[in-house]
Amino acid sequence: MKKKGQTGERGKSLLPISSKAKNRTFSRLQGRLAPLAFLAPALIVVTLFFFIPLVMVFILSFTNLDMTNFGILEWWRPANWSLDNYAKIFTNKFFPKILGNTLIYVALTLAFFNVGMALVIALITTHINRQAGFAFRALWLLPRITPVVVYIMMWKALSGPAPMGIINNFLGLLGIGRGEYLLNTHPWVFVILVNGFIGASFGMILFSSAIEAIPKDYTTASKVDGATTWQTIRYVVLPMIKWPLLFVTTYQTLSLLTSFEQIMLLTDGGPRLYQTEVWALTAYHRALTSYFGNTQWGYGSAWAVALVVIGIIMAIIYLRVFKFGELVEEPKIDRL
Amino acid sequence: MKKLRAKSGIMVVALAVGLLLVGGAVSYTQETETVTVRCRAKPPMENWRGDNFLLAAEELNADLKAAGDPRRVEIELIQDNMDWGPYLSEFVLGFGAGEAPDIWLTGHEYIGAQAEAGRIIALDEVLKEFPTFNLIIDGLWDSTTYKGKTWGIPQDAEARPLYFNKALLKKLGWSDAEIAALPGKIEKGEFTLYDMLETAKKAVARGIVELGNGFWTRPKNGPDFTAFYYAFGGKTIDPATGKLVFDTAAGLKYYQFFYDAAQTYGSMGCLGLGWGDAWHPGVSGSKVLFWVGGTWQWAEWAELYLKDLGGEAYMWENFGFGLIPAAEKGDKPNSLTHPLAYLISSQCKYPDLALALIAKVSNYGPNTRHAIASTHLGILKGQTEYKFYKVSRLLSETLYMLDYTTFLPNNPYWGPYSTITYEALAAAVGGEFTPEEAVDFVVDGLQRELGDKVIIR
Repeated sequence: MKKKGQTGERGKSLLPISSKAKNRTFSRLQGRLAPLAFLAPALIVVTLFFFIPLVMVFILSFTNLDMTNFGILEWWRPANWSLDNYAKIFTNKFFPKILGNTLIYVALTLAFFNVGMALVIALITTHINRQAGFAFRALWLLPRITPVVVYIMMWKALSGPAPMGIINNFLGLLGIGRGEYLLNTHPWVFVILVNGFIGASFGMILFSSAIEAIPKDYTTASKVDGATTWQTIRYVVLPMIKWPLLFVTTYQTLSLLTSFEQIMLLTDGGPRLYQTEVWALTAYHRALTSYFGNTQWGYGSAWAVALVVIGIIMAIIYLRVFKFGELVEEPKIDRL
Repeated sequence: MKKLRAKSGIMVVALAVGLLLVGGAVSYTQETETVTVRCRAKPPMENWRGDNFLLAAEELNADLKAAGDPRRVEIELIQDNMDWGPYLSEFVLGFGAGEAPDIWLTGHEYIGAQAEAGRIIALDEVLKEFPTFNLIIDGLWDSTTYKGKTWGIPQDAEARPLYFNKALLKKLGWSDAEIAALPGKIEKGEFTLYDMLETAKKAVARGIVELGNGFWTRPKNGPDFTAFYYAFGGKTIDPATGKLVFDTAAGLKYYQFFYDAAQTYGSMGCLGLGWGDAWHPGVSGSKVLFWVGGTWQWAEWAELYLKDLGGEAYMWENFGFGLIPAAEKGDKPNSLTHPLAYLISSQCKYPDLALALIAKVSNYGPNTRHAIASTHLGILKGQTEYKFYKVSRLLSETLYMLDYTTFLPNNPYWGPYSTITYEALAAAVGGEFTPEEAVDFVVDGLQRELGDKVIIR
């Protein structure tokens, strides 16, 4: 006795053809909708809190919406759009300074900390006792997990004038400096240190895991062949962690380009006019702060949109120059 | 007997129920209205700005009850020391969301923009219903007037004196008599801005103060700089059109002064410093010879920075103050007052209650409490004769400065104007602009940002 819906001996369905077609359509539909249903919550959140604001910021960048005309200017009407804000950015007398600051900030932080220091820590901690290496890496994570305001307060205290500032105490012992407030005399050093100490931990984790994944045979073989430590690093380790190196460089460049909160809390772009002001901080300052409250949302948005465009261009260049496609494709041996 | 007891029991219950019903009815007809008061105040000195409303609400409720008005007020006070920029954004965006506070205490220079946007209400008609407001000094109403209407009630005033360090002047060889005579010489126009810089230069040359510490202004953009622009003959507003004005001749002298101060006279090492970590410790710690500050900072230094050394007593011993000197010999010195004002939001449900509360806090007692605690000048006629106001020596000794005071303009575009003129000043101080380049930058920036909303002379 066969029940309804069971398949016959020769694989024939006992259901009428129209029911079969319906079932097939339903299951096909279900197959297509199920992933969408799973994606829906994330899709809604991303649309509401990322895409819509992004489109709004893009539109705002063509308007002169600010605190004085908020509620009056119909910023959504194309008649009120123009390229004036972009013209203002590139003709701003302080534009070269802000651009230069951004390049210095990104290049130095990246070279000395986010990639350089991260690599050094990873190499050292993977070549010492495993537990000690782990503990050392955990210490380097502290700046990243410390709330940013507390972290900056600590740095402000560290760089304070003598006799309160700890750094000044050490410099005094060495006979260096006059005990002045170091954040005012050497702001760039602190901007880079403060950001670098946080940024280094990201690369450190990726590089450490990549180095630990290198089969020990390679390093052992290089030692047997008489390679020095430096030669082992240069010719064995570095080529094998090429992908994480390039990924960290790309990711951290883009991340540094858009980061400003530490600089804002530390120097707020000063102490002298635009001395440590970077692009992202300018966007924030123009759009959201001003002593007398003349926040220029349209103009600030233009700074932000221009930065996004720069970021996208840089990402494309990185992808092309570093040939990311080749790096992530399947090994040729697997394709044979 | 039992019946009597039962009857009286029933009567007691009935009476109780009756009383409850009557009470319920009374309480039912009473309406409690929440009035939101938003104040910016530096704790603990300026807390009376908002705290006075808590006491005023009790008095107003008594008045309402006596008048048979069923309404009662309850205060929701929001008070902190937020920066002015975010403070303004909060109000504007809050208004956009329909959540503006009923009473908003703010700088008078914001009135123009808020009145234009319809976020605050004009008060001319309703002010007449509260005679207390007649007590406010007539001149202060000018600061809350925009396009012929009154939009706010002055809350406090202050002077921005030029402070000097007596101990450092003594080190420079000044006698006690010379130091005591300095405020008078400034008032008569005998001690000019450049005389001050010359003195500062000597102090730097002799190592009495460090390079850059001869003369300081505030470390960031703010109202004080406008007083110097006025000193060089600058104007900020055209009375005929109400438009902002930038005077290039006065501007050039103004930027030349700050350029010279930094490049030649060992001064202006103050721009960009943090208030709490460097500026206040610098001036109160006797590291600076001359500096411009506000009378309210006197209380701040005494309370927060010099309490251990004796507070005000130490300050009277070591600090002196006068007007901001004239630019040329014989000219009039000046000061700048930046009155705060209570504004009433157009989203306020009961403006009459809000105004009644403001009237209560604008009287001698409450206003003097604030004036004394925060060393702000009083705003009421005859307040100097009020017994409890007289106890403050600072307020008495700085009162004459109101005769020389100036104001910021009440113009919606003061914000961009101020940002551009300050950026030029900071660049001149930093040696990035010559005075001429600073003026060109301002003219270019103002024309680009404000177009025909500003007059360049």
